Amino acid sequence: MKKWFSIALGIVTATGGFLDAGTIATAGESGAKFGLGLIWAVIIATAAIILLVEMVGRFTAVSKKPYAAAIRENFGFRFFLAPLICEIIAESLMLAAELGGVAIALSLLTGISWHYLFPVAALLVFAMAWRAPFDWIENGPAILGLVTLSFIAGIIALGGLPHDTLPTLWRPPVKSGDLADYLYLVAATLGSTISPYLLYFYSSGAHEEGWSGSSLLLNRVTAFLGMGFGSMGSIAIIVLGAIVLRPLNISGSTLGEVGLPMAKAFGVIGTTLFAVALFATCFGAALEVVLGVSYLIAQGFGWEWSENKKPVEAARFNLTLILFLLVAVLIGLRGTDPLQLALLASTVIALELPVALFPFLVLMNDPQYLGDKINGRWTNIAIIVILLLACIVALISLPLEILSGGG
Amino acid sequence: MRARSTPGVVAGLALLLLLIWPALSGCQFAQSSFASTASSAGSAFSAAATTLTFLHQGRLSRRYAASSFVNFKAELAGLDRQLPTLNGAPGKATLRHLLVLYRPAMQAVNAPCLDMACDWQAQIDALNRASKAFLGAGGS
Repeated sequence: MKKWFSIALGIVTATGGFLDAGTIATAGESGAKFGLGLIWAVIIATAAIILLVEMVGRFTAVSKKPYAAAIRENFGFRFFLAPLICEIIAESLMLAAELGGVAIALSLLTGISWHYLFPVAALLVFAMAWRAPFDWIENGPAILGLVTLSFIAGIIALGGLPHDTLPTLWRPPVKSGDLADYLYLVAATLGSTISPYLLYFYSSGAHEEGWSGSSLLLNRVTAFLGMGFGSMGSIAIIVLGAIVLRPLNISGSTLGEVGLPMAKAFGVIGTTLFAVALFATCFGAALEVVLGVSYLIAQGFGWEWSENKKPVEAARFNLTLILFLLVAVLIGLRGTDPLQLALLASTVIALELPVALFPFLVLMNDPQYLGDKINGRWTNIAIIVILLLACIVALISLPLEILSGGG
Repeated sequence: MRARSTPGVVAGLALLLLLIWPALSGCQFAQSSFASTASSAGSAFSAAATTLTFLHQGRLSRRYAASSFVNFKAELAGLDRQLPTLNGAPGKATLRHLLVLYRPAMQAVNAPCLDMACDWQAQIDALNRASKAFLGAGGS
């Protein structure tokens, strides 16, 4: 019974925790500008993250080592510095965007400018990360994040897809001069979905919860069903944007705009659902980012770490957490729009993907860590394809960021 | 060895093809700075008009609208000074026409009628006119 409860909770957590400021930003803008023409990118990115999450969970469950600690152990400290530095840069931008997302959600609910609510959002994240046990952090925001399923109800309430929208699925409406914008959104979609912080967080979470070889079914179901269902939220935002925003020539470049389709579908209740979903997803993601990076640093340097320990028992881990949060607050206080920040962070993440994902290929084939649970032929091919994809995205993301003016 | 690497290469080439297919169809790669900025402004004016319409139709709360307008203001402020300096800017007559429409629309963005007391319909008209003109100037 307990096993099935864990599996159900795993699915719920992964479903509710899939979206964040980056995925909402890219999905909203994609639907508004290119109809259904970027759903293929979400599907490819989801398939990639499902495979990576399954692998990182299997690695930790069998080897009893978190992914970051294994990178340091197997490749040495010099190599470890590369993903570490990339992650700190990319995720500090992403954390600022997530905090901004929380602030905007509170702003949409209260009417107060999000600039004033930004420090409140940071304090909320700090309080939760500082004292809450791991299962609260993992399950609380994610269960609230199930509100994102109301986006699917929104599509139904709007009467489904109009006839002229469906062809954009296979013929994206890329007008002359929009190509850079389109490719930029492809890169940002991949960067926002295949987030390395998610892998460090998931791996550390599996370690915190004491996963073992008997947790492999839970890991597989969580990865496949949870992430699969979760991506429906992202696709639903694209569809809503295509149905409501695109005919009105609204580009979905602010989070308030992305919520307008829910107003059309359900009125005031719809926008309240959107704001609650935005709060839950960005709050959950902010916690995952701040913890993911703190885990990465603490595990890499061999410090004591755990969310289930009192701050004094893992002092350097908790100090890292505070410092990283402070860096993100300083970035956010410059007043840059969180949505633009999220798009930029997604591009920077796309740039560092090959560095973050390369160790998979080696570690997942090492019998010293995984015994007979090493990758099979097809999973190795899948990693190579993902790495290839990551390299292409890394090569094109920065020029596209400049050419498209950041979406 | 050859058989092992084939699926990866095929997938990579398929992806590359998918990414560059619009280029093969003869699309211009990127808009000029002016066209891009004008399109974004047109879109933001349209979003502001829709927000105000939804508010007065009872589909949006006053708080949601107030919060949204903070972002519209940030996105659109200073555009009148920025537009003439951008790469690809049109002639003076077109610019003058855009600026004539920009000012009343911007007044609506700065002080939107969130109550029934003021003329919200006139504001929506001004926002829609500006949206149409800016989108047209941006080639949308």
